[in-house]
Amino acid sequence: MATVTNWIDHLSAKEVVGAVYPGAGSSETLLVIIGVVFWIGWHVITNKSESEKLARLARKRHGANDHKSNITDW
Amino acid sequence: MTDQLGALTVIFTEFYYWVTVVLMFLIHVGFCMYEVGASRYKHHQHTLMKNTMVIPLVTVTWFFFGWWIYWAFPTGPGIAPSIMTESTALITDDSTFSAKWYLANSEFMAVNLGDHISGVFWAAFLLFSWTAASIVSGAIIERITTFAFGILAIAIGSFFWVIDAAWGWHFDGWMLKILGYHDAYASGVIHAIAGGFALGVLIVLGPRIGKFSSSGEPRNIGPRNPWLVTVGLFLIYTGFWGFYAACNIPIFDLGPEYGMEGVTYWTATNIYVTPTTLSGITYNFLMSLSGGLLAGYVVAKGDPFWTYSSGLAGIICASAGNDLYHPIQAMLIGAIGVVIAYKMHYWVERKFKIDDAVGAVAVHGYAGFAGLVICGFVLNGYPSSGYNVGAMWDGSTYASINPLGQFLGAIIMFGVLGMLPGYVLARILNAFGKLRIPRDVEIAGLDYEIMEDDRDAEKAVASSTR
Repeated sequence: MATVTNWIDHLSAKEVVGAVYPGAGSSETLLVIIGVVFWIGWHVITNKSESEKLARLARKRHGANDHKSNITDW
Repeated sequence: MTDQLGALTVIFTEFYYWVTVVLMFLIHVGFCMYEVGASRYKHHQHTLMKNTMVIPLVTVTWFFFGWWIYWAFPTGPGIAPSIMTESTALITDDSTFSAKWYLANSEFMAVNLGDHISGVFWAAFLLFSWTAASIVSGAIIERITTFAFGILAIAIGSFFWVIDAAWGWHFDGWMLKILGYHDAYASGVIHAIAGGFALGVLIVLGPRIGKFSSSGEPRNIGPRNPWLVTVGLFLIYTGFWGFYAACNIPIFDLGPEYGMEGVTYWTATNIYVTPTTLSGITYNFLMSLSGGLLAGYVVAKGDPFWTYSSGLAGIICASAGNDLYHPIQAMLIGAIGVVIAYKMHYWVERKFKIDDAVGAVAVHGYAGFAGLVICGFVLNGYPSSGYNVGAMWDGSTYASINPLGQFLGAIIMFGVLGMLPGYVLARILNAFGKLRIPRDVEIAGLDYEIMEDDRDAEKAVASSTR
């Protein structure tokens, strides 16, 4: 996986290769796919949890000043 | 890099942009503080987290597709030919400034020893993107779902503002060529579009419960922590200063760039690669800030919330031409922008029952729009680019700055790419029941459960220490 195993060899080559991250030249597209799945997945998970939370809170029908009883004395 | 002077130039440029990115982070810190200070206690944490999530959501989408859009779309596509490819198609060829290099799977979108600039330049634009999304965030506090805001933040931060940047900010943008559009420090490219987008969303989202009386009279829901708002706005000023520097190229030889044989002219340039100086724009930044503060103090009768916001509106209004204005012109333009923004805010609020919680549409949208129009008159006749200057509508050359082009540009920024998409997206989210939180939750407070849990935890701690 390592793209560079010896800096002296790497930098003294006739043409120095710029991309030095692991899997350079072979893994980028796969990484993008994984990244997009991670991003979309975040929306799916948080949308579900937010909907549940809002529905639960709405059912309790609190008044506009009820939250004041939750303020703790510091 | 094989010679020391060349290396110094490249590494100085890399460091320069890196510093601006760090400075601009303060804009987001400021927006977070400002929004929390403006919201009511029972919504504080939700308000903070909503705006905080702008950072990761816009960053990852900016990486996946936002940056690519900026480099691909200057031609429209289909409106005016690129000076690089001479085609009106998307710029995705093998040329130096092609979008091809900024696909998410490109080797230049990573640690690359041969490229010192792409990452810091990407980040500078990313911070602009956060700002665009964050402007919208303030207007809609206390009643939008985090899910909906996330979608809207990505839409404005990684899509719509990037389109307008490609059209009106990129050195090859079609709006420069056809309209003579000029917007050096983003009166329209960031502020008018974000303000317009926020207005489009607000039309669908509706006001906070209690904002208007049964007879339609607006009520003031003022900032709950004015000192947090104050510090937040000071931080936004500071970050905005960094933004000005980030819009420049710090050191560039314009002679060969413009094809002038034998001419060497090293200078800082604005985003359009025309000459300016960091020194000159420092005059104008501070004078337009001052003009805004002075006018805001008068029109708002010393109200701190509006006076501080007016400082920001002053800079925003003068920003389109702050690379060329005289400092006193910048000051006066800043003052005019504030009066327009303030008056428009209250007129729109009363007339259309729009509840813009922090005045974002006014400070960014109306002041930005006015700034573009004023720039068209004050800079009438200046070239919009250093490349071939020609007539309006020509397409292959660059038109000069003019009032009509600036007015049309303002319409495109505020209306076409801002308000319209904001309205349509909000309608779609609303149709799925995803836009607004339930009425009972808004009344109870979005933080109700968190506060309840904290209270129980506090009780448990207190009882264990007896």
